[in-house]
Amino acid sequence: MILGPEGPHVTVEGFDGPLDLLLELVEEKKLDVLTVRLGDLADAYLVRVRAMAALPADEVSAFLALASRLVLLKARSLLPSLVPLSELDEGETEDELRARLLEYSIVRERAGALGDRLRSGERGFHREGGTPDLPPRGGEVQALAAAWSKVLALASRAREEGVVAPSERYSVEERTAEIEAIVTERDEVTFTELLSTEPTLGWAVVTFIALLDLYRRGVIDLEQSALFADILIRAKKRP
Amino acid sequence: MRSGLANAVESVLFVAEKPVSRAELGRVVGATPKQVDTALAELAASYQGTGLRLAHDGDDWQLVTAPEHAQHVAAYLGADRLRVSPASLETLAIVAYRQPVTRAEVEAIRGVNCDQTIYTLMQRRLIEERGRREAPGRPILYGTTWEFLECFGLSSLDELPRALTPEGAVPGTGERDAVTDGSA
Repeated sequence: MILGPEGPHVTVEGFDGPLDLLLELVEEKKLDVLTVRLGDLADAYLVRVRAMAALPADEVSAFLALASRLVLLKARSLLPSLVPLSELDEGETEDELRARLLEYSIVRERAGALGDRLRSGERGFHREGGTPDLPPRGGEVQALAAAWSKVLALASRAREEGVVAPSERYSVEERTAEIEAIVTERDEVTFTELLSTEPTLGWAVVTFIALLDLYRRGVIDLEQSALFADILIRAKKRP
Repeated sequence: MRSGLANAVESVLFVAEKPVSRAELGRVVGATPKQVDTALAELAASYQGTGLRLAHDGDDWQLVTAPEHAQHVAAYLGADRLRVSPASLETLAIVAYRQPVTRAEVEAIRGVNCDQTIYTLMQRRLIEERGRREAPGRPILYGTTWEFLECFGLSSLDELPRALTPEGAVPGTGERDAVTDGSA
């Protein structure tokens, strides 16, 4: 972090603080935190604090507190005979302040290292995308085979009927009206019943589309108790 | 050759979308915690020099990509690089090394109010609340998150001191290191 000559650098999230400023001064003067007489930095520190006049008072107060501490340390070094006023007034000693400054310098070094690591971009990523989509439980091993044989049976029948009545046509509208009538009369009916025993492919498709349309219009409710179970068609209760 | 147990643990961690605790790993692969530890150590060693790493935060384990290949994964995911201000990094450094830690403790070290930096770090999910200290006022304790480990390419908090030794770090502080070394 580089401080301009005009004074401490102020970030949006908060200023870097009095300890930061003190540490900057130690580094600028190429001094060692362990041995520098902190009182000697009082003048340089005050110069920087004066440059902060534009900052809000509550932000400057922390700087002023440290400035007064430094001035006291300086006075003490100039006048070694000065007797402490009382335990309470004495506050933080030079050693305590030095310890804080040392601890802070370590933090700043670590923060710098963290920043470097962030800038290097060498980060890890975990797998995104969540748990794989599993089919609903309850499927049976034989279900697929059974469904396939049904399709085969349907296909072969359709072929036969195709030969018998190639021009047969079904209307979705007619079938929809038929199913609506059945459901109104009987209240419920299964999909298998609607297909009847010998459906052609065209018949099955038209029946299925008719059901979808009825469901979309809210005429019927569809219910399937288990995977691959027969679909139950009910007249929707109108409130 | 890796053990069957290590392979079993690997396959579970592969499908896991979030960190899996050691206890849960043990339950699903049918092994004791000690056996799971051995398998995890084996797995971690086997990822050396590959594109994957085994990361852990406490007892929770997860497979992550190796930091060396971050740029490729980021390019694939279209991920932006995280930016953190120097002030927030200081707060983060204190939380990382001292966790669990209270806001007052962070402020005592930095010598400034840290409300804002803590808020920012929480927002970016780099730190999180870790309960409260049983002391007057029951202050909130903060610690780092999985996101923190990932964003800084750490396999665990144990890597923190190693990864961030003063030597390996900030260019431009060489002078100060020399002074510190000379006086030590």
